[in-house]
Amino acid sequence: MSASTIRQLLGKLGALALTLFLSSVVIFSSILLTPGDPVAAIAGGRRPTPEMIEAIREAHHLDQPVWLQYLYWIGDVLRGDLGTSFLYKAPVVDLIAPRLGVTVLLVLYTIVLIVIFGIGSGILAARRGGAVDKTVLVATSVGVAMPTFVVAILLIWVFGRLLSWFPVYGAGEGLLDTLYHLTLPAISLAVLYIAYLSRITRSAIVAQQGAEHVDTAMVRGIPRGRIFRNHVFLNASPQILSISGATVAGLFAVSAIAEQAFGIGGIGSLLVEAAARKDLPVVQVLSLLLVALFVVLNAVIDVVVAVIDPDSAKSRRDA
Amino acid sequence: MYNVVTSMVRNVTGDEPVRNPERGNAMRDTGLRAGVARRVRIGALAVGASAALVLTACTTPESTPGIEPIDPASLVAELPAATTEVDQVTWGLVEGEPLSLVPGYDYNLVMSNLCDSLLRVNGDFTISPGIAENADWVDPVTFVIDIRPGVTFWDGTPVTPDDVIYTLERHRNDITSGFFGAFVLVGGMEVTGENQVTIHFVAPDSTFREALSGGAGAILSKAFSEEQGESLGTSSGGLLCAGPYQLDSWTPGTEIVLTANENYWDGAPLVKKLVFKFIPDGTTLTNALLAGEVDGAFNIAPASRSAFESSDQGRLILGPSTASFSFGPTRADGAGSNPKIRQALSLAIDRQQYIDTVLNGLGQPQSTFVAPFAWAGSPAADIYQAGYDALATPQVDLDAARKLVEESGEDTSVPLRLAIPAGNKELSQTAAIIQSAAQQIGLTVEIDERQAADFGAIFLDDPAPRENIDFIATTGYTETPGVLAYPQLFLLPAEFGGIFNWSNYSDSQVTSSLQAARTTPDPAGAAEAYVSAQEVFAPDMLQVTLAGAYHTTFLNNRLTGAVTSVAAYATPWALHLGGK
Repeated sequence: MSASTIRQLLGKLGALALTLFLSSVVIFSSILLTPGDPVAAIAGGRRPTPEMIEAIREAHHLDQPVWLQYLYWIGDVLRGDLGTSFLYKAPVVDLIAPRLGVTVLLVLYTIVLIVIFGIGSGILAARRGGAVDKTVLVATSVGVAMPTFVVAILLIWVFGRLLSWFPVYGAGEGLLDTLYHLTLPAISLAVLYIAYLSRITRSAIVAQQGAEHVDTAMVRGIPRGRIFRNHVFLNASPQILSISGATVAGLFAVSAIAEQAFGIGGIGSLLVEAAARKDLPVVQVLSLLLVALFVVLNAVIDVVVAVIDPDSAKSRRDA
Repeated sequence: MYNVVTSMVRNVTGDEPVRNPERGNAMRDTGLRAGVARRVRIGALAVGASAALVLTACTTPESTPGIEPIDPASLVAELPAATTEVDQVTWGLVEGEPLSLVPGYDYNLVMSNLCDSLLRVNGDFTISPGIAENADWVDPVTFVIDIRPGVTFWDGTPVTPDDVIYTLERHRNDITSGFFGAFVLVGGMEVTGENQVTIHFVAPDSTFREALSGGAGAILSKAFSEEQGESLGTSSGGLLCAGPYQLDSWTPGTEIVLTANENYWDGAPLVKKLVFKFIPDGTTLTNALLAGEVDGAFNIAPASRSAFESSDQGRLILGPSTASFSFGPTRADGAGSNPKIRQALSLAIDRQQYIDTVLNGLGQPQSTFVAPFAWAGSPAADIYQAGYDALATPQVDLDAARKLVEESGEDTSVPLRLAIPAGNKELSQTAAIIQSAAQQIGLTVEIDERQAADFGAIFLDDPAPRENIDFIATTGYTETPGVLAYPQLFLLPAEFGGIFNWSNYSDSQVTSSLQAARTTPDPAGAAEAYVSAQEVFAPDMLQVTLAGAYHTTFLNNRLTGAVTSVAAYATPWALHLGGK
């Protein structure tokens, strides 16, 4: 590994740490500044007396200034203690760990659908043109306008209720059953992105198809399939990847919508519930996890783009 | 004067449904699900966080045609007992995950199957023996409990008088317990026999026996509970009780699993494994029920009524309830605290239209905040009913309403703020109806939708969260028989237990009659005292009651045997559950 690669890697890690730190400050203070009081969540089912409220505040440092609360929290985190949920009274890590798997699976499943159908339909539209292009254009126009929860309702109605092909609740047990259960949720998440990615793919390819080097290759009599693979698609892919990469990384946050609609106990639905109940330790850790995933995924995509097309990656860095 | 705090009302608010401010009713509380001493739980009816996911919304009635009226005589309190064993039943909790399984620390539909009570409330609100084969007054201030010989906790250890006293003292000594109020007239308890406990009272208490039929009489193992300490009954701790099901596991955020107690004193349940899934989104639950992936649930989304009624997976069962939807004042100043303004708003709201819109027809008009079902099992039911029937039934009269607004002397240019829990569809519709009714009589209502934690804070002692609102809309229920819970919480001065009497309502006749109703040993005398208080407080509308809601149950066609009235919150409703 060259010195510059190591420098770059360290730079990326430093940026990740900085991003996480800044995010943690912003998330922490925004939770504390929004209305509502976590005391009720901590008190559980009981109606706390004023004395009990005082005691709870003191025990959880809620009576301290925000910056001091932050220091207590970050101190614990750096010592490896992610905290205990106010609501569930269980260690945050125990709450998140079992849920992470199903969310990751859901997101991966969604990405597979997005890549196959989004890029596939984009290529098809760009290469075939005519009626196929028009059809894809109309379909993606509808797709882009369909919010996840609307798609979920339609899917539940058609495939769950009318046809009974797929389960509409829960995550199932075992890998195959889980994938079966995650099918409708993954489709509901994917539709919007498929449409979006299809459009990006199509326009990137169309732009490349008109490029000079493609014309030259045609004139030289290189087979169309090879031209497409080696010149058109390869050159279009950095753009497709970098634009879609950021969007797809956001799936972890958006998955909450599908998780709620289909009753899947993943981290998305946990985050929504925790935020509504002011379960600060859970919100804080989950939000940071999402930020970290986002940052890491983007970094991975940067690397992939750099491998495919070193020049474009360099110009992106220099820009 | 005695301090008659009752506490059983559970309040709710916030994320879940708050129970009505009526006593013990479970309104799902939105927020403080817990915390409220009043346990008004606000309702479970509607959780539905995402209003957008209204699968069946196409049936939502804007106008009333198409809504099938319900004959109140057709309500079912208990299904015929099951006859065949079932390996597993999956039950959906739209109320969300319990905060605790310890009676008095939360109100949910899980715990009554775990911790059996000294007495048992039946679906029709009559009371039968429970762990106690006999529990009754021997004189106006002495109550004797005879424990059924041979009753054991899940681990086989016997239920002793020490366990009984320990459990009851927990409530008596802890003001944060939901059942603190049930024990305020108790002077002391002692063991008076191998299987006997005697409780001495400082005054007669007409509500005590009924209270013991619910969570207040649910018995915990002393040794086990002391050893568990704070983690007792939470997801990180255990529980040892004597009910028909025992706690197998609790996975936070996912499920609670119960297994049949094969040695239950009243016969082992036919359901061998009862799994509770937390499904706070009403639409998600609806879909899971209709697809047969979840076997049953209470408090289903009324908006999906037609989908449930036409389902071939299961059936919708409507049961009697004390649950109601209402709104009331939150502070002692401002127009909300003026009875004339509340009366005017009441005259401007069409109750039938309200029931059709918000409950999809699954409810009935109610004249005051204590529902008739509260006395259904009482020997003095006739007296209560006659008093109730004498009350004015709510009706629309806009001219009279405008006149009341004028007479009130309030400045109508100041908007009235109405707080509701965010994400509760029924209460959000309620607020919209109140708002448009107010507009018709020259009042402006602004809706203040609050997140769970924020909404819950309204019910605590600190008045600050109430100061910038005028009204709060909630739903609640009382899960054991008796009429006094709500009146005590909402009508008495704070020092006598009126912890939700935020408008400082004080009427000496109401106060003395309610105190008399609590301390009159003879049921007829207590009923008469209550009725005379009701005559005065009902027109003052400390809660403007909008509707009584039926208790709803959806149950898969393969199953039967559940208790399907509001008593499900207090009774082991799954004891007779099983296959047809």
